[in-house]
Amino acid sequence: MKITKTNTSRRKFLKQVAAGATTATAASIIPSRAFSANKQLTIGMNIPMTGDLAPWGLPGYYGCEIIAKNINAAGGVTIGGETYDINIASYDHAYETDKAVQGMKKLVLEDDAKMVMMLGGSTVAAVLPWAMRKQVLTTTLLPSDITPDSKHLVATCESHPLYNVTGVEWLARNHPDAKTAVIVTNNDVEYGLQSTATYEAAFEVAGIEVVDTNLHGFDVTDFAPIVSSVLAKNPDIFCMATSFYVTPIMEQLYHQGFEGKVISCTLDYYHEIIAKTSEDFVNGTIFQFPDFDDPALAGVNFPDPAGFSADFLANHPNDWTAVAWEYPVILVNWIENAQAAGSVESVEVTEHMTGTEQNFVFGGGSWWGSQLWGLDNVLIGKWPVVRVDDGKARIQEYGDLAAWLDANNDVLIKHMKAHGLRTV
Amino acid sequence: MDLLIQTVVNGFIQSGFYALAAIGLVLVFGVMRVVNFAHGELVMIGAYTIWYAHAQNGVPYLFTVVLAILIVTAIGLLMERFLFRPMTDDPLGGLICSIGVLFILQVIATYVGGEGPSKQVPPPFEGTLIVFETVRIPYQRVFSIGVSIFALAVLWYFLTRTKLGWAVRAVSMDREAAALQGISTVRISMVAIGVGAAMAGLAGALMAPLTNINPHMGHNVIITAFIVTIVGGVGSLPGAVIASVLYALFHTFVTTYFSGTIATISGLLIMVLVLIVRPTGIMGHRVSE
Amino acid sequence: MNNRGKLNLSTLLLLAGLFAFLLILPHFLKYHQQDFLIFLTINVLVVVSYRLVTLTGEWSLIHAVMMGVGAYTSALLSKNFDISFWITLPMAGVVAGAMALLLSYPLFRMTQFYFLIGSFAAGEAIRLCWIQFIKPFGGTGGTSAIPSPELMNIDFLEPIPYFYLVLVIVSICVYLLYRIEKSRIGLTLHAVHWKGVLAESVGVNTWNYRALAFVAGSLFVGIAGALKVHYIGTVAPKQFDIGFMVFILIWVIVGGYRTFYGAILGAVVLSVLDEVLRGVDQLRPAIYGATLIFFILYLPGGLESIPHKIKKMYQQKRSRAT
Repeated sequence: MKITKTNTSRRKFLKQVAAGATTATAASIIPSRAFSANKQLTIGMNIPMTGDLAPWGLPGYYGCEIIAKNINAAGGVTIGGETYDINIASYDHAYETDKAVQGMKKLVLEDDAKMVMMLGGSTVAAVLPWAMRKQVLTTTLLPSDITPDSKHLVATCESHPLYNVTGVEWLARNHPDAKTAVIVTNNDVEYGLQSTATYEAAFEVAGIEVVDTNLHGFDVTDFAPIVSSVLAKNPDIFCMATSFYVTPIMEQLYHQGFEGKVISCTLDYYHEIIAKTSEDFVNGTIFQFPDFDDPALAGVNFPDPAGFSADFLANHPNDWTAVAWEYPVILVNWIENAQAAGSVESVEVTEHMTGTEQNFVFGGGSWWGSQLWGLDNVLIGKWPVVRVDDGKARIQEYGDLAAWLDANNDVLIKHMKAHGLRTV
Repeated sequence: MDLLIQTVVNGFIQSGFYALAAIGLVLVFGVMRVVNFAHGELVMIGAYTIWYAHAQNGVPYLFTVVLAILIVTAIGLLMERFLFRPMTDDPLGGLICSIGVLFILQVIATYVGGEGPSKQVPPPFEGTLIVFETVRIPYQRVFSIGVSIFALAVLWYFLTRTKLGWAVRAVSMDREAAALQGISTVRISMVAIGVGAAMAGLAGALMAPLTNINPHMGHNVIITAFIVTIVGGVGSLPGAVIASVLYALFHTFVTTYFSGTIATISGLLIMVLVLIVRPTGIMGHRVSE
Repeated sequence: MNNRGKLNLSTLLLLAGLFAFLLILPHFLKYHQQDFLIFLTINVLVVVSYRLVTLTGEWSLIHAVMMGVGAYTSALLSKNFDISFWITLPMAGVVAGAMALLLSYPLFRMTQFYFLIGSFAAGEAIRLCWIQFIKPFGGTGGTSAIPSPELMNIDFLEPIPYFYLVLVIVSICVYLLYRIEKSRIGLTLHAVHWKGVLAESVGVNTWNYRALAFVAGSLFVGIAGALKVHYIGTVAPKQFDIGFMVFILIWVIVGGYRTFYGAILGAVVLSVLDEVLRGVDQLRPAIYGATLIFFILYLPGGLESIPHKIKKMYQQKRSRAT
């Protein structure tokens, strides 16, 4: 393996960016670009910035701006002997496929973007034929976008929903008495069904019986009937497979007196859930997304997580979602690979990236995906299992996703197929 | 058995929101013949008012409920004065104007609240009412259904026992005839949209602690309001209330015993069926051209 | 109206000039603007076909879904059964038209507001089916890897060849729609709108004519749907939701629904505005909404009425001068 050089240069780079953060805050009034003689290096974001999916695009743009600001304040980034300032170019496709196609061409051909970050789903499918032909390095947050032909499409941060298995594994290990589960989620293909199939597989492997799976549309305003319906099955575990309706569902669980274990993909803004229910009720809930000031995050492959989230919240107090750090993770990973490849060009960076072991944000980092989607372009590694203790989200352990997938690949594929999802 | 009783209770609570949200749409259409596409966004602004004033800035809840009603009523009156009144003879123009307002209100909400995940409001009334040790109703919902019933009762009293209310009903039944009787249709239009918007603001304020608040929440509200309006009979206020209860119970039962998606698809099919079999709805009268 | 849509020489020259302009236009555009031009041309067919439906005075909210019916038909046939684009394209129109015929029985029992809402409900039910039945439609994510058209080794993944293809097909369709409107049928449709009772009393079966307009409009928008997804390569329920329907409605009304070119003008001007505003991020929908209100309030006849207004002003000035 050719991983020898990457590690030292990564450390150096992360340190440099973190140092940039302090410089940047001190000199934030003066736009660094005005003084910089560096070349511009453009990274594209073809994302929804308006419309109902904007929460999964716009916060990521703000996050990447922070990273770029810090890098530029620290004097830019050196790739292949040339020092660059990072410039983030965005295009708002509002999650419309025709606009996504336009945005891709604008970013690549007119703004000269070296990589284009996208959210995923139908907008990625729409740009794929052109982007793959032109060999544009494109990233997605939904690994299920990957097809046998999408050589230049990678998922280097979020391996939604595969990482959910780590939470179930931890739950089964620590609460062996919990034997039955219900799953509630929305019925869309990209998020809901993928996640449901993954949870079903994880529960089967853990020896937990799924006694009810309740899929609902995006038109639900009242979760009382859905929660009443599944609680009538007396489950030990209540599982929420996606993020969209966690708070209202938690509220109903609280009022309808659920006393079992709750496991969820996300628990965004859990202090609001505590305000709506009680700390006692929320304590013990297991999910997969850590707070960025969690001390256990020290040493992850991301420049100064706590400082980053503080900077973000200072300017955009109401905009934080998981994508706020996920797009930046992709950006940081790209820079590492470009440095190692000694080039900013799409083809060279992609080649280097997919040909080497990677430093995944939470540790580990191997390529996976051919078993399910036909190509090993999903980066998987350790993923945190988080639990609310005394009203605070705390990482319990870093689950080993790769090991689980190696052992239980067939179970996962079986459940994906059962929901009619695309597998090779 | 427990599930059955719980489902009936869930359904009745839901019907209160449906009725409050639909009544404004019915009232405005009845009096002004305008489909106000921004009606769902009025509800959304009501909810955002609670989030901003109560949850973010600590103003007491009941005070912010009044504030929400006032703000949304003001928006409604502005829409009437500057958009619907110049468009009196052009219902299509009124509809397009309301779509313009819809876009603007959504952007305002985005600016106030940011693009993060849905906003949440902690419930001012905590705890759960437990009846016969089986049926559980959060106190917040007890409060909401109580206020909804009270508001609807006040509206009913206004429409059937006051002179102004009679005039509103008269215009709603036959605009020209009412004008010939010397009723000022402009004034009645203002009353209709004022009352309708106030109800929407109240609906938003009551929903705020119970649901996801985001700039696009109006979409589901307006679809439900459409279904309730059609099933109840366009322009019929009692019809809208009855339809709200029936549809809420139906939707809750299908969701509980089958699934939410089936509930929505069958809701739409029922609406089409009603339109075919009895276009005037259960309580409606044919709208004069 | 007296020459029933036969074009006179000056109009023909004007159209020829426009066509020539459109042929060279993409070569002067930036890459992403070439794509924009393709989608805009397709949307021209969408609004013109929608206008046929509205000729009878009925405003439907199902047109976007009908576009989707055509799109799904062509996409699934060509992807799953390897049928050539040149066969699936007309099939898209036929299936959308047939679906419209089927729906016309329940829908045309209603008029006005009831029809508006009824058509919305029917369309939403169809769209929910695309979401619900993952086989064969693909659910919310839709179906991707739809093959490009094949013709003499032309690369239709590139924007300029595809634009020419779209331009030719859309021109033919728009011409056909124009002929329909100016034909006896079209005149009767106008009559059904403005003098429905009178038309009935002289033996016009209004139901037939309303259904005819609905079926023909759906047929052409079905073709537009197929054109769109064979370029994008992906078909998904979100492409045909109420949001897109609202845009169709806005284009037609802001442009002016009383004449043929008004609708086209609306689609072109507002789409360009939307594209220009894409730099201002979150504010874009609000500016769009404000523009909409402005047009409705101050230009109730739509954009197409501007030349008339200028002419009038000019005439007034002259009459005052003399």
